[in-house]
Amino acid sequence: MSENKVIVANKGMVRADFNFWVGRYMDKFYDNFEKKKLVGNKCQKCGNVFVPPRKVCGKCNVVIPLEENWVDLPDTGILKNYTITPYRVNDRTSRKTKPQVVGMVQIDGSNTAIIYRLINIKPEEVKTGMKVKIEWSEKPKGDPSDIKGFVKI
Amino acid sequence: MGRQVAVVSAGFSEHASKRTDVSMPELVSEAILDCLKNVPSVGIEDIDAFVNGNMPAFEGANVPELWMTDWMGARNKPLMRVTTGGTTGGSVAISGYYNVTAGIPGVDTVLAVAFEQQSVGTTSVGLASVAYGEISVLNSLGMPYEELTRLLSGGAAIGIASYQAANYMRRSSITEEDLARVVVQNRHNAAKTWWTHLKMPDLTIEQVLDTPYISYPLRYGMVCPASDGACAMLFTTEEKAKDMCDIPVYVNGVASVSHETAILGYNGSGAGQLDPSEQLGAMKSAELAFSQSGISFPRKEIDYAEVYAPFPNQELMWVERLGLFEENTASSMYESGVTALNGELPINCSGGVNSTNAIGASAMERPAEAALQIMGKASNQVPKTVHTSLGHGWGGIINLITMMVMSDEPARKFK
Repeated sequence: MSENKVIVANKGMVRADFNFWVGRYMDKFYDNFEKKKLVGNKCQKCGNVFVPPRKVCGKCNVVIPLEENWVDLPDTGILKNYTITPYRVNDRTSRKTKPQVVGMVQIDGSNTAIIYRLINIKPEEVKTGMKVKIEWSEKPKGDPSDIKGFVKI
Repeated sequence: MGRQVAVVSAGFSEHASKRTDVSMPELVSEAILDCLKNVPSVGIEDIDAFVNGNMPAFEGANVPELWMTDWMGARNKPLMRVTTGGTTGGSVAISGYYNVTAGIPGVDTVLAVAFEQQSVGTTSVGLASVAYGEISVLNSLGMPYEELTRLLSGGAAIGIASYQAANYMRRSSITEEDLARVVVQNRHNAAKTWWTHLKMPDLTIEQVLDTPYISYPLRYGMVCPASDGACAMLFTTEEKAKDMCDIPVYVNGVASVSHETAILGYNGSGAGQLDPSEQLGAMKSAELAFSQSGISFPRKEIDYAEVYAPFPNQELMWVERLGLFEENTASSMYESGVTALNGELPINCSGGVNSTNAIGASAMERPAEAALQIMGKASNQVPKTVHTSLGHGWGGIINLITMMVMSDEPARKFK
């Protein structure tokens, strides 16, 4: 071909809406957010405590009954790991003046870690292994945004 | 040299239009637990490998098998995902069979699970991405996307089925009433099966014909629902199967054949196929599976059949193309009750895809129900003894046909 020319080009846009159902276990987890409470569930075989709760223990392959084995947990935990980003989450075009810290927190009494933002802290003050506490939003709605983040104690 | 494979159990989750009470992994674990409940001597630790599958992109999650590994009990075990569009379930089941027959050291018992949670995503978007194999060719012929969706009357599977239906009706001189009769039989059967979606024990032919057209000649009342659900099947070797259950179901023939694309048949596919109800792929697939099983007269030797028919015209078409009935005789068989629960050759006593369609799982629910009928454990069990049955699957985009022929006697083809 002597000429490199596009003859017909097709463009189209497809709109996609997705709803992910969380299931009964997570539903109970978020319901407790409304009372500013954190709950997990415990495998009856190995004793691992899961936050967020789950139906099947991956290690033992046993079903944790929906009505049983719930554990009330404190809102404190240990920072296991963290990262610092100068960008806004989901928006890499805008560099923030204030860098934000995102960390993995193991809630006291649980065997898993959850990832949230660390707030009211300077990046140089962050240390792995430090004690942190949940900062609840003023009016909890029963969804993940009820936890504003973790603060140092 | 392959090994003889047996199905020892099959399980289902409950099916509904919106299973909002479970997350995707929880839905899958429901089917697995139901499957293992039927074989008390088998624990999750006895399963050596896993096969998982659903329609790609329907839920917007494209590696769900990795996400739900822990829920399936597949931790630290071989796991693979198979996805072939509408026939996904059939391909997952065949893949479970291959895993066992291959004779890999340490892999004797394989759990195959197929699922779909359609309420999570938008089916049209999923279909668009699946249909892209075809759409991209038409795009390259210069047809824009908007025009295509009009051609396919909404872009869904019904666009394909309405062409098949119109051609089939002309070929075999049947009326819409004949189509409605198939729907009524299916929905009545579904009412007697615990896991199904559209249970309509009092549906009449008049009620079906009273609904508006969705795409001529198919009416709303004739079309399958969109369901959330999962299905699991447990495959193992002949030796182990005898210890696991009373009546092992031997898988004697599998096939997976496609002959022509669904719409491109008109628009320039290589097959040059002009009659969408001819289905040469189905004939070839049936021929392959029957010859492996040593079946020469399917009409006489098959006792029970589950065919993949979201639309009633397809059920009539498949039972003819798969060799169960002579050409153009299927609708009279439905009329005379040959295909009913207590008939000579019962078809789709679970209500079929016409009553429950969790797409990724549907093509596995066919062999699963066909196996349960041999075991005598189906919830809408046929009164006669079933020795040989078949489970069939269809995928719309390239008319891919999966077949699994099962029997209570091994075929001994490997000896």
